[in-house]
Amino acid sequence: MVLPTAISFVCGVILRLALFRSSLPDWLSTKTEVVTPLTSWGRAMEGLALHREGISPYSGDIFHESPLMLKILGFISRFSPNTINLIFVLLDIIQGMILLRIANTFGRHMLLRQATSVKNYHPDAKKNLLRKEDLMDLQFYVTVAFSFNPYSIATCLARSTAVFNNIIILLALYQMLKGNSFLSAVFVALAAYISMYPIILCVPVAVHYFLMSRKGGMHYTDPTAVVSYLQILGVTFMSLAIMLLFSMLFVGSWEFIPSTYGFILGVPDLTPNLGLFWYFFTEMFEHFRTFFICVFQINVVIYTIPLAIRLREHPTFLFYMLLYTIGIFKSYPGYGDVGLMFALLPLWKHVYQYMRNTFVTVCMFLVCTVFAPIQYYLWIYAGSANANFYFAISLAFSTAQILMATDLLFGFLKREFYLHNGDKHKLPDGTDAQIILDS
Amino acid sequence: MASDSANLPGGKITFLLFLALVNFSFTIGIHNDNFSEELYVKPFSSGHVMFHFQFTTVWNVSIDKPESFQHYHLFPKSLGDVLTTYKVKELHLSQTQGLWKHEKWGYPPEDAPPGDELWVWFQPHSGVDQTWADLVNALSGLFCASLNFMDSKSTVQPRWSFRPAGLASEFYSADSRFVRYSTLPREVVCTENLTPWKKLLPCGSKIGLASLLNSVKIYDGFYHSLGVHVRSVCQDTQCLTPATELKQTLTVVYDPTTNKNGKQDWSFQSMFDRTLQSQCPLADTRKIYVDVTTQETFPKFSLSPVPDFVLNQKRSGEERKIAVYQIGNHLFASSLNLKAMYEEKLTFSNSSLPPVYANRFVTGYGLERGGVTCMIYNTMSSNTTVIFMETVPWFLRVYFSSLRIENDGKEIKPYKINFIPAKDRANPYQMELVFRLFANSVTKITYSFERAFLKWTEYPPDANHGFYVSSAVVSTVLPVASQYTATSQSVSLLEESFSDSSSSFFLRLHTETLLVSLPTPDFSMPYNVICLACTVVAIAFGSLHNLTTRDFTASDPSKRKGLVAKLKSFFKKEKESPENKLDSKEEETPSQKDKDNSKSEEKDSKEKDGNSET
Repeated sequence: MVLPTAISFVCGVILRLALFRSSLPDWLSTKTEVVTPLTSWGRAMEGLALHREGISPYSGDIFHESPLMLKILGFISRFSPNTINLIFVLLDIIQGMILLRIANTFGRHMLLRQATSVKNYHPDAKKNLLRKEDLMDLQFYVTVAFSFNPYSIATCLARSTAVFNNIIILLALYQMLKGNSFLSAVFVALAAYISMYPIILCVPVAVHYFLMSRKGGMHYTDPTAVVSYLQILGVTFMSLAIMLLFSMLFVGSWEFIPSTYGFILGVPDLTPNLGLFWYFFTEMFEHFRTFFICVFQINVVIYTIPLAIRLREHPTFLFYMLLYTIGIFKSYPGYGDVGLMFALLPLWKHVYQYMRNTFVTVCMFLVCTVFAPIQYYLWIYAGSANANFYFAISLAFSTAQILMATDLLFGFLKREFYLHNGDKHKLPDGTDAQIILDS
Repeated sequence: MASDSANLPGGKITFLLFLALVNFSFTIGIHNDNFSEELYVKPFSSGHVMFHFQFTTVWNVSIDKPESFQHYHLFPKSLGDVLTTYKVKELHLSQTQGLWKHEKWGYPPEDAPPGDELWVWFQPHSGVDQTWADLVNALSGLFCASLNFMDSKSTVQPRWSFRPAGLASEFYSADSRFVRYSTLPREVVCTENLTPWKKLLPCGSKIGLASLLNSVKIYDGFYHSLGVHVRSVCQDTQCLTPATELKQTLTVVYDPTTNKNGKQDWSFQSMFDRTLQSQCPLADTRKIYVDVTTQETFPKFSLSPVPDFVLNQKRSGEERKIAVYQIGNHLFASSLNLKAMYEEKLTFSNSSLPPVYANRFVTGYGLERGGVTCMIYNTMSSNTTVIFMETVPWFLRVYFSSLRIENDGKEIKPYKINFIPAKDRANPYQMELVFRLFANSVTKITYSFERAFLKWTEYPPDANHGFYVSSAVVSTVLPVASQYTATSQSVSLLEESFSDSSSSFFLRLHTETLLVSLPTPDFSMPYNVICLACTVVAIAFGSLHNLTTRDFTASDPSKRKGLVAKLKSFFKKEKESPENKLDSKEEETPSQKDKDNSKSEEKDSKEKDGNSET
């Protein structure tokens, strides 16, 4: 499968390069689904223009990138527009390379994990086990899912700065799979530094670190376990603190904190996107605004706890699920997050057969993706629709993402159940039993 | 006051006499103020006629010493108290309805933007922001205007455009910490603003020139502008001691050609529906000036009554003829009804353009992005440097990187830029640019903006009407006085500025206000939106809660029924449940037929056990 992988990878790169020559990038870079106030290239350039003029970019409300990003973007912006386009293709190539590595390591990681826990499996579960050949194909599927993923392509063409965030998250995942938990924790801190929410990803990294060093049947609440969690948390928060301190020294004041993290938490910009925040807080009654902002922000991170408990044996899947919930519920979601989800989705190829409503979900994704720009045009330019039309699409898109996430979790848990209990279940009278969720 | 106490009847005459004497001497000492009322009439070649009333009170006390603002005579106490309480050094308020057309009318005596404009220099002290907030609330009550809406969202501190107009040290006037500037472009000015303005006049509105101010007719005009200007001036030519000047202006522009059969005839009677019956006895100067420069050219007109004399005004090469009336000389026989009779109908001709003027407009389409273009015209044959100031509300996100100044296709680099970006719901964008206008050229300033999406409570009642953006301000110093009518900064009265010999003229222009539509949400459905968005969150929360807290178990598929069967069994259960229980107890060995029942029974009991355990 090396040749098809390479071909699809190259095709993906050529596709991006070709599309950069069309008028698509200009169109995409104004689409609110693709770029958010946090990741817009135009806003980043405005921040840089102010910075060059000696005006703090954080004194205004257009620029919301972190100081480190200001530095990086300042470096990139010195090149000509065509070179900048090439840099964004290059960033996508880097993403693709990391994804390939992840797919490779993931296969090995899954086989190792299977080997250690196969003794607990039901004898009937043999045919459900992962085989090496299946995992060899992963690289191809991941490459296809990334190269021809319209969401990733749109993000690249719009020059959304979300790609930086995605690269760092992928690096964190890669290092975690490789077993470098501390390095992974540093990358998690870096991702959190850029977009705040990924801070919850330190939980799967911590669990993974514990699982690697676990001897025997040590329990999750064992003091040694707690120590290993604290080690990872310590590394994450220490590196985050160091990065913030360096940023402060670089900018000269703490004013970037309200302008970046305050902006993410307080949701003052109500530009439409495919998330849940914008219209909800446009229409919110002033008395309850603070309350509901708290509720919605807690909603993003609250799933960490039940998922971490339920998926304690599967930190990789926990990582993916948390990434997914962030992508759905963050205050300014864009196609960059969706693209990352879809690029990583083939890793859970073995779960697909247990999912129930893939058809409905895929249809919802297709319809929303097509209708979102149309409804936006009808509202903003044609004036023949109103905000509710676009809101309906954004709700449907969120619902599709939620259905996909829960379906994937359902499939994963069901497969685990089959592995441990076999897939043939007879009732005492000999008839086939049905597997359902029960309390 | 003095006469009152002197006229009191009573026995202690000597004491009262003494008191009266003291009071008299005291009053002489305190009545160190003077008042003058002037009216300047200027017919334009477009057929319009401007009437500019100017009431000037000069009080020989310094505004820097609030303790000297004690014994009011001509100066209005209501305003004086506000000035001293809020540590004001200089105050300029204008309330305008309509747009002054610089291309047709030249420059007004007091340039003002549509709506309300207020700029204030404060005495140096800390906490100017709070003082400003208190001051606008006080002025709001004093002038019956919504000045209290001049909060931090619309207030800026201009660095170069609004220097003190009166006496101020060089050091102080360069310090923009003490100046605040704000506009309300949407404000509607009407009678309720004129009445409190008239109350500030020492003679009130029933006597003197102010008696012409008939609000029914004034608000019928094309343009009208009320102004209140307080500043520090020199007491005398040596300028050793400062005085405080209060200048109240009212400019109104009419178009008499519409109902005068195409003739530009005007008179007090036809313009104000009144004639001048009296003069203000408190005023030192009571004069009416009519610009008669065009009297001899086509179309000719004659004034009645005949003016006292005609003044040849020479202001930096620009020669004008001003007919002067001493009001007192025309009130002996009857009331004064100043009239201008034109011989011919008005023919429209191109008036000569003023040296510098500006136009501004919004560009772009749709409700997402847009731009603003401002064209500044220089018709002089010399270069001149201008300061361009723009205040843009926060909800139009101005891209500084898109700011361009172009002249004839070539980009101009400004000498100085002062750009302060906006903070959402806190402060506006402020832009001040200093650049050169080339001779006989048009300079174009463009920038683009992105419209923000507001909360539903932030829209005004008529949300689709749009939002106003206040005028841009162009400040410059002209080398010629062509079409320049403002009083010079060094003097107080119009009369004095007719004999102005300076060679540079400070000009401040206001451009058009802009009306920008913002995208609107659906105002009718906050409940629906809250419910729907929460439902989606609930779907996620419910599913994830289910999946993470429950385990998979094997169950009998035959027990799983469709919705109809479930409903049926639900209702059946309610009816038959006591019977069923009895049956299962009676039968010790359940037959194959009743298997289902027994199963459910077993499960029930299990659940009960479980419950009892917990």
